[in-house]
Amino acid sequence: MFMRKTLAVVALAVPLALVACGGEKQEAPAAAPATTQTAAPGVAAGGAAAKGSASIGGKISFAGTAPAPEKIKVSADPYCQKEHKDGLERKVVDVKDGGLKDVFVYVKSGVTGTYPPPTEAVELDQTGCMYKPHIVALQVGQPLKIKNDDETLHNIHPRPAVNQEFNVGQARKGMEVTKTFDKKEVMIPVGCDVHPWMRSFISVLDHPFFAVTDEDGKYEIKGLPAGEYEVEAVHEKLKSQMGKITVKDGEKATLDLSYKG
Amino acid sequence: MPLEISADAVGGSPGFSPFAPWRHRLSLLLVASTLALIFVGGLVTSTGSGLSVPDWPLSYGRVMPPMVGGVFYEHGHRMVASFVGFLTLVLAVWTARCETRAGVRRLAWLALAAVIAQGVLGGLTVLFLLPTPISVTHACLAQAFFCITIALAYLTSREWLSSTGTRDDVVGVRGAAVAATAAAFGQLVLGAVMRHIGAGLAVPDFPRMYGRWIPPAEVLAQLPVAVHLAHRGGAVIVLAFVLRLALRATRDGDARLARPAQLALALVFVQIALGALTVITEKAVLPTTAHVATGAAILGLCWFATLRTRRHRHAAVSAPAVAGLGDPAVS
Repeated sequence: MFMRKTLAVVALAVPLALVACGGEKQEAPAAAPATTQTAAPGVAAGGAAAKGSASIGGKISFAGTAPAPEKIKVSADPYCQKEHKDGLERKVVDVKDGGLKDVFVYVKSGVTGTYPPPTEAVELDQTGCMYKPHIVALQVGQPLKIKNDDETLHNIHPRPAVNQEFNVGQARKGMEVTKTFDKKEVMIPVGCDVHPWMRSFISVLDHPFFAVTDEDGKYEIKGLPAGEYEVEAVHEKLKSQMGKITVKDGEKATLDLSYKG
Repeated sequence: MPLEISADAVGGSPGFSPFAPWRHRLSLLLVASTLALIFVGGLVTSTGSGLSVPDWPLSYGRVMPPMVGGVFYEHGHRMVASFVGFLTLVLAVWTARCETRAGVRRLAWLALAAVIAQGVLGGLTVLFLLPTPISVTHACLAQAFFCITIALAYLTSREWLSSTGTRDDVVGVRGAAVAATAAAFGQLVLGAVMRHIGAGLAVPDFPRMYGRWIPPAEVLAQLPVAVHLAHRGGAVIVLAFVLRLALRATRDGDARLARPAQLALALVFVQIALGALTVITEKAVLPTTAHVATGAAILGLCWFATLRTRRHRHAAVSAPAVAGLGDPAVS
């Protein structure tokens, strides 16, 4: 008799407990989109450090033979297969005319003052079973809006070392979730466990002086106050490169860095 | 302390319990399903799909999400687990209603409690993003539950119910079976820790270790390397204990004891080969998953051998311990 009662209690309590555990990860969608390819020093109002007029730009180059593109099988999901009928190739080291794409370039040291985060969100899109952009950069506290533009489901799962890890599912096209990061951290890997080939990196800084190289390997960091800065270029596969540069107000200084294959 | 499977050990009065073929078949189905579930659970980890469904108990807010990519493995695991849970529930209720031995009834309830706990652990490890302690506990409880299902199947078998007595364990097969079971379980715990801290390739070569037969001292201080090497060392210990069991069971001359022990020994060799393949192929999905399932099968066989030796042999210096549990001869 006791066992029967126990079973009845378990039968009632367990589903209730299970239901109570679910559905906690839903978040409200964010507001306006923003670009991430080039850093904008659009500092929000209130307590911002002085805005400068100098900039640092240049080219991150790669000398040598780049690794062959990775061939990726996407047949595990018919939708992704349809999006990539001829298969998918990923260039981890993406070189064009010697310029290296998708390098995160940022001012590592020399920045003084505080730079409150912009209120507009940076966007990370899941489209064609890929992340766009591949390298995302934003400030501490700045919203990151993650969208699903695919007719399939995704989960978004960053694996940070110092920030809070999260894992959010987006079951349908059009779903959005907004997250913020509260500590600076460079190149946080982001993945979708449903589609293991999907990979992106998020960099979070406490200032707005960063950029991501375009397909020609070029970058520009704008709005710097005059000063001496240490700049680091970080690539997901290659080692980082460092450079030092001094800029004056109104000047555009050039800092080229290069990797060897 | 020797393991005694007696009426007292399972907490029941030794009432007569007739053979119930369909309930026994259900328990056998549960054993097979649990082994399959362990394989499917291994697939989830091997394919890195553990977090492809971020919510629980539903999957993407649904009972049945699209079975694409990693969802196929993770939700598939949940489906097989639900099936095993359902079988366990039916068996527990059936046993509670029809079984005369209180110890067996309690074991069936224990199985149900274990499978519920296992489901909750599986959910928690998803919601908390695969914390090592929860994931390891989930892996180890799976093996313990597998042993419970084997015990339920054996306790309801015609062999258990119709056994007419025991004889002296003159070759020491009882102790050998317990030792082999303990070694196999310990090795599975180590394997679970290694798997869930991501130390499967902490020593990237086989059979050498960092190119040497004796690994360099500087790497031994690293926890992943230490756990990995302990697992390799554990394989040698398991081999020794299972070999000892197989030799003693063979010497005993009873095929009922020798067969599971010899099969376990054969599987240990298969398992060592699968472990080597796991390293050499850099954790290719099939050998890695087969390694998990074969480990469970070795544990299950050693545990089954333990139960059989307890049923058919008694310690040479003590009175027969296996009395009761519905043995028609003694009830």
